[in-house]
Amino acid sequence: MTQGRLFLSETGRIVMAAIFALAVTLIIIFFASKTPWATFETFVTSPLSSKRTIGIWIDDSVKLALAGLAFSLVFQARQFALGVQGQVYIGGLFATLVAFSPIGTTWLALPAGILAAMIGGAFIGFIPGYAKSKLGANEIVSSLMLNYIAYDICNYILRVYLASLESGLTTSAPFPAQSIYPAFIPRTRVDLGIVIALATTVVVWFLLYRTAWGLKLRLTGHNARFAAYSGIRSSFIMVSAMTAAGAIGGLLGAVFVQGTAYGKLSIGFEAGMAFEGILITIVARNRPLAIPFVALGYGYLRQGAALMNYRADVPAEVIGIVQGIVILLVASSFTVPGKAMLARLMGNRTAASRATS
Amino acid sequence: MTPFLEAIGIDKIYPGGVHANKGIDLSVAHSTVHAVVGENGAGKSTLMKILFGVEQPNAGEIRLEGQPIVLHSPRAAIAAGIGMVFQHFSLVPSFTVAENVVLGVEPRAGLKLDRKKASETVRELAERFRLPVDVDVPVEQLPVGQQQRVEILKALYRDARLLILDEPTAVLAPQEVVELFAAVRSLTSQGRTILFIAHKLPEVLEISDTISVMRAGKMVGTVAAKEATEKSLARMMVGRDVALKINRAAPGIPHTHLCRISDLTVKNDHGLNAVSDVNLVLRTGEIVGIAGVEGNGQSELFDAIGGLRPISGGSVELGTTDITHVSVLERRAAGMANIPEDRIATGSAGGATVAENIVATELTDKRFVRHGLLDLKSIRDHAAKLIEKFSVRVQGPESAIGTLSGGNMQKVVVARELSSEPSLLLVSHPTRGVDLGATEFIWQNIAKARDAGAAVLLTSADLSEILALADRMIVLYRGRIVAAFVNTEEVTPEVLGSYMLGFAEQSAEERNAALA
Ligand SMILES: Nc1ncnc2c1ncn2[C@@H]1O[C@H](COP(=O)(O)OP(=O)(O)OP(=O)(O)O)[C@@H](O)[C@H]1O
Ligand SMILES: [Mg+2]
Repeated sequence: MTQGRLFLSETGRIVMAAIFALAVTLIIIFFASKTPWATFETFVTSPLSSKRTIGIWIDDSVKLALAGLAFSLVFQARQFALGVQGQVYIGGLFATLVAFSPIGTTWLALPAGILAAMIGGAFIGFIPGYAKSKLGANEIVSSLMLNYIAYDICNYILRVYLASLESGLTTSAPFPAQSIYPAFIPRTRVDLGIVIALATTVVVWFLLYRTAWGLKLRLTGHNARFAAYSGIRSSFIMVSAMTAAGAIGGLLGAVFVQGTAYGKLSIGFEAGMAFEGILITIVARNRPLAIPFVALGYGYLRQGAALMNYRADVPAEVIGIVQGIVILLVASSFTVPGKAMLARLMGNRTAASRATS
Repeated sequence: MTPFLEAIGIDKIYPGGVHANKGIDLSVAHSTVHAVVGENGAGKSTLMKILFGVEQPNAGEIRLEGQPIVLHSPRAAIAAGIGMVFQHFSLVPSFTVAENVVLGVEPRAGLKLDRKKASETVRELAERFRLPVDVDVPVEQLPVGQQQRVEILKALYRDARLLILDEPTAVLAPQEVVELFAAVRSLTSQGRTILFIAHKLPEVLEISDTISVMRAGKMVGTVAAKEATEKSLARMMVGRDVALKINRAAPGIPHTHLCRISDLTVKNDHGLNAVSDVNLVLRTGEIVGIAGVEGNGQSELFDAIGGLRPISGGSVELGTTDITHVSVLERRAAGMANIPEDRIATGSAGGATVAENIVATELTDKRFVRHGLLDLKSIRDHAAKLIEKFSVRVQGPESAIGTLSGGNMQKVVVARELSSEPSLLLVSHPTRGVDLGATEFIWQNIAKARDAGAAVLLTSADLSEILALADRMIVLYRGRIVAAFVNTEEVTPEVLGSYMLGFAEQSAEERNAALA
């Protein structure tokens, strides 16, 4: 398959997923709302209704994209490490420590904070990888356990050392200005995070498709036995993939706390967003260059659902249902049984249309 | 009389643009054995998949007993009485034979599977069609030949009147082929129809009533087996005469010892000795063939030398280095190359491109990787060169290797391993599922590697392949060397057979004469 065709078919697939998502949402709204069309309109148009909502949409997409990129690295190596959440908390914590250190008020504040966050995240990513290669520990279990540990460490340090009294011990004092991203559009959340997400996308793509390490990683993911047979040290690849993904998770933590949306550390700041990276990367088929687009699309739906919650009579939980259904559809409709089902649904028409195309 | 199955004007273009079937007509008579032969990538498997509803044709019609039918899924095909056994089985390893056969249409006692009834039915079925198999054993404990029987039983249990077999003999030992053919005969005598693909012409001529030949997506002709000869078929398939003859290593050249295998002991997956105390010297410019019934330690021996299985006793030296416990990377650096027995499970990464599969073993080579960065252009050029040299039928280096036909995938693996100009070449079943022309080509290239000074260790389920290529031969029985020969006219399949089945064993002197 040529690159052009591949690009077209993959884009088509993602557009299909979006249409499915919209259709499903519409059906749910019909059940849940007294004024379904108005509600649907809110859902579809509200993210664009003001500069502020656009900013929130973009900011969410940045974070979803980073989470997706972190997962895409480990998933391409076929490692099911789910530790991005823990990496985000440790990354956020480390960035906070830098912000409140003497460096926090210098021009070094942002780079040093980001670096510290990435190192912290990388370490959290490394542990399950190392445990798997040395002890055979299942990475799903160990990474999920680490998520709890990281979350609790972050909260503990926040409450004991960092929390400001006015906040009722749930957030730190605001960061010094030098430790917060410059906003590109004033009074919105559109800030340096967007550059970080785009740069990370390119870096991940470059690592995966232009370096020997990335090729080894993908070959290990395709067929570990083949990798071993060709002389690839798959346990090194596995550990390094998890570590690199951890660094991205840590980076996301920095983007959270240093971003204009927060500019401080608060309890549970990540709000479950890290896990939504799984959906992003599944829809994007772990392809880094597709991830920002998927994140934008999904971020939009997500934002629409949240605003629908405020402005109409449908609860935001709807987005959870839509999420689930999109995952199911994307994961199934392009595998063999799914294809057979589509073929049956469409009868001979598909065969006929393909013949003419 | 109306044919049992008719395909008229079948056309198939894969989404990638490969035109795999071009206006194919095929007509299969009732209760006969109909073979489809042709080069790798000719479109045989594609046609079979269309007849079983796995792939949808872009145009054309299928008729069953004169009635047009549409097969949009395997389910529809099964309902119409068509069954298929793929080259790669789809059995549940931990389930018993009976459970596998009835899976999906189980006899029930209340809500539960009626195990007794299942076993009984399957046993009766097996007896009726001469497919003896122990129905209460988990499938994972069965050799390939028996697993294939289970697949056939699965189709028969669903009342298949037409059975499609995609290269059923490629994975079988000679004895198993004999048994399969006995079953096929009993099937046709009981009114079933068989449609099958094979590459080995003697087999095809022996078992079939009618033979259809495909080339490059087209049907080039259908002949009665009685009127065909190997030569006439080969010419139809390849378009020229094919001579499967390989020159032996030139005599009189001093062969220096290259690889010394001493007291080698290797355990299998269950911790039992699969290879015991094997002593063997491989010399440059020489092919050593290993004969044995499948499961007598060949795979473990090759995996151990290739670095994919730990060695539990003894040593392997390559040149002056001890490679007993070193990594695959170091072995390859020392000059080893390995054509593995399973091109899909071991020899390739299906989702990666052909170019990536080819470069996978060369990632320390400065031509392709510098400072950790891939040189995509030279990787692509290298792949394109090998594709051209081995005439692999593929759109280009960027195609996913998983979309290649079986034989073409094998050519890619062989091309990659030979391109490193190895000094020690491990070869397992190099021409499994490979067409006649390509078999000749692969043999020639193995011989070329030998003439360039490689020591080659070869095993194959096909004795004629070993007899054609090897300069010396050893027979493995239960993991031990029971016989060794210099390959001469006197060594025949019958002679080897008695050692392979454990009926005879050479004395130590006799063996050592050929081993040294
Ligand atoms: N899923 C697929 N997508 C794209 N191309 C495919 C796919 N499957 C097969 N092809 C292509 O279609 C052609 C015919 O393949 P097919 O598997 O039918 O060959 P074959 O005659 O069975 O060969 P072999 O003897 O090697 O098994 C080949 O060029 C192959 O690369
Ligand atoms: Mg085939």
